Amino acid sequence: MNNKIKKMAANWRVLLLVAFLLLSVLAIKPQVFGTEGVEIQSLQASSPLAEAGLVIPAKVQPIARERILSVDGIPTPTVDDYYSAVSQLRTNRTVRLITTEQTYTFLTPESVDGKIDLGIKAREASTSNIRMGLDLEGGTRVLLQPAGQISKEDLETTVDSLNERLNVYGLHDIVVRSASDLEGNDFILIEIAGVTEDEIQELLAKQGKFEAKIGNETVFLGGEKDITYVCRSADCSGIDPYAGCQSYEGGYHCRFAFQISLSPEAAQHHAETTRNLKTVSEAGSCYLSEDLALYLDDVEVDRLRVGCELKGSATTDIQISGSGAGITQADAVNDALQNMKKLQTVLLTGSLPVKLDIVKIDTISPSLGKEFLHNVMLVGVLALVAVSGVVLYRYRKVVVILPMVLVMLSELVLILGFAALAKWNLDLASIAGLIVVVGTGMNHFIVITDETLRKEAQDLDWKSRIKNALFIIMGAYVINLGSLIPLFWAGAGLLKGFALTTIVGMSVGVLIARPAYAAIVKILLEE
Amino acid sequence: MFQKLKHIYETKYKLLMIIPLLLLVLSLVQLGIQYKTTGDFVNKGISLKGGSTITITKDLHFSAAELEKSLQQQFPADDITVRTLSSAGRITGLAIDSGLQDGSKIDVLTNALSERFALQKADYSVEVVGSSLGNNFFKQMLIALVFSFLLMGIMVILYFRVFITSLMVILAAFCDMVITLAVFNLTGMKLHPAGIAAFLMLIGYSVDGEVVISSRLIKRNDGTELQRIYGALRTGWTMTQTTLVAVIVALIFVQSEIVKQIMLILLIGLLVDTIVTWIQNVGILRWHLEKKHKKHFGK
Repeated sequence: MNNKIKKMAANWRVLLLVAFLLLSVLAIKPQVFGTEGVEIQSLQASSPLAEAGLVIPAKVQPIARERILSVDGIPTPTVDDYYSAVSQLRTNRTVRLITTEQTYTFLTPESVDGKIDLGIKAREASTSNIRMGLDLEGGTRVLLQPAGQISKEDLETTVDSLNERLNVYGLHDIVVRSASDLEGNDFILIEIAGVTEDEIQELLAKQGKFEAKIGNETVFLGGEKDITYVCRSADCSGIDPYAGCQSYEGGYHCRFAFQISLSPEAAQHHAETTRNLKTVSEAGSCYLSEDLALYLDDVEVDRLRVGCELKGSATTDIQISGSGAGITQADAVNDALQNMKKLQTVLLTGSLPVKLDIVKIDTISPSLGKEFLHNVMLVGVLALVAVSGVVLYRYRKVVVILPMVLVMLSELVLILGFAALAKWNLDLASIAGLIVVVGTGMNHFIVITDETLRKEAQDLDWKSRIKNALFIIMGAYVINLGSLIPLFWAGAGLLKGFALTTIVGMSVGVLIARPAYAAIVKILLEE
Repeated sequence: MFQKLKHIYETKYKLLMIIPLLLLVLSLVQLGIQYKTTGDFVNKGISLKGGSTITITKDLHFSAAELEKSLQQQFPADDITVRTLSSAGRITGLAIDSGLQDGSKIDVLTNALSERFALQKADYSVEVVGSSLGNNFFKQMLIALVFSFLLMGIMVILYFRVFITSLMVILAAFCDMVITLAVFNLTGMKLHPAGIAAFLMLIGYSVDGEVVISSRLIKRNDGTELQRIYGALRTGWTMTQTTLVAVIVALIFVQSEIVKQIMLILLIGLLVDTIVTWIQNVGILRWHLEKKHKKHFGK
């Protein structure tokens, strides 16, 4: 037996499998002893921590994400601990928040409804680098279709601005990608974990075309070309300190204001438009005869008086303001800040080149996702036990079953390792793919075992037996590959996850794991 | 009895091929009737037709039929059907399908349900599909399938360099799918896009078996022809058995309706594939070998 283990350790096929297994485990980085702190799932742009310098980088491996270790000296090992620590904070105090990266010092904001909101959504820290897709973690998936024909460049621009828009939410796992189907129709697929349908629908359904007009003349548009800077920090954006909130018809009404900088061209245009306007005097102040009207998607959202001092001036610094309303003052503040954020986003990212229609929306609640994952794992284990039973009944040799099960599990680890490395989100379609890979993997182990053990093959040498087995496996592999490739484009890429997982899984299996199994069986059974 | 069957299997293989042929013809008839009565070859689900599904994962202790009746009365225009979701024989929730696509109208329905059963937001999920995606989606799946078949056929010719195997593999995949689809229609279930993935998974599983038989019968010459056939069938049967038990286990225990449909289609498909492999594929290959023999020996 010792001799056989030595032989296995020296076999290059076995070594190759072991090497890839190690690489996969390194990529997955399972945190066996748990992780400290809670993970930051999302960060609002208006959060005091965003001003203190906390940022969420777009594509970081789950294990490397920033985690909150303590708030104001209170350790936060769980999500509940984090929220209870935040609930103990009081308004206008300096607080230290320690994360795995650094220590942030910030002033706590005003409380809303007696609660302080740091603008952070926390969740349990990831325990490995495997990314759970929507079906497993909960969230919203939207498939958008541009209304009318659109060029490739426009499609890419749209994807980019959507990406920027959604990044305003400061979320980790946003997938925005273009997809097309077999008939050449273009789609945009968006997946966001942990955000409700209502929240993204509003941002997405609108084209987000921003125009500032004086009279009938467009002065500037949203987007980088005209607007070089949009202030989002507290010193030059927020509730307007001069106007503030007022009670109004049984509710409250709050004004917000923030600074933007125009490009010199846009400023010049502004100067030319205002040069010939008349001036009027109202309540002791001098204003221009025409207002600066702000339009979002062709709907007027606000109308600002323009001071006489701006007449004909090519000023680049402009203050934009607007308002929000609510039944309580807190509601009104919230509404005003929401509206401000929306306007800021549109100004920052510009208008989308096309109108987008929502063709499909899925919302999966997080608890459903978790339940689904547990259920799938349970079913996987049960299926493994049942399949092992069948194989044991057929071959009655533990020496065959044990390596079969081990190599099959290692195939799973290899696929997950690849998924972690390639930053895939595992979703329902990928799980269907995993089922095919494991299923055909099992078929191939049986082929290998039968080709080496069957009576008719006993007068063949081991080399030709293995060769025969691998011939069958390679054949099945290339034929399957042929049937899977067309799936990449079918149905706007919704089945891409399935095709990709199956192709990668089968390739890994056929090229690395299954040959290793053949080598192991040969060494163990060879007399 | 067994010996008699075995004797028939070994000597009357050409005659036996009537069985899969008959199944294929009956299935085509079923699909034709389905098309004539409903306008489609298959009972399309919401994701393919357009509409929405509200999935409630909480046992409401309420019968699906009763809820369906009362919802149909409340929303007569919206083509509402209610299904019971179950796992391991235990009721886990309800799924409500409707033709609704408009967000605000769906909200009316979810609000009505929430009020009636005191549901929290976490207790249900909503899936909406526009009808434009619905129509295209199905058409494209069919185009993708045609391409799949063509590519598969080319791969088989390149690999075995025998035309008849290519024909056999494509014919087998075609029979598997058509017969399985007809049986699926008879169950009355509605097809989900993931179910189409299941039909494609079927190709994967059937190809494994066909390559085993083709390799053993065409590329080898150890033992007699019948010995090689039985050897290949033994291997193929073990493969089918392992997949069958895994599929049955999943069918019993899995909660997701979508995964359940995948498993059901695989189950039907595997059984169909067993008939197709044992009778049709073996028959075609034996016929081919016999002809080759005659040519060889000038008989």
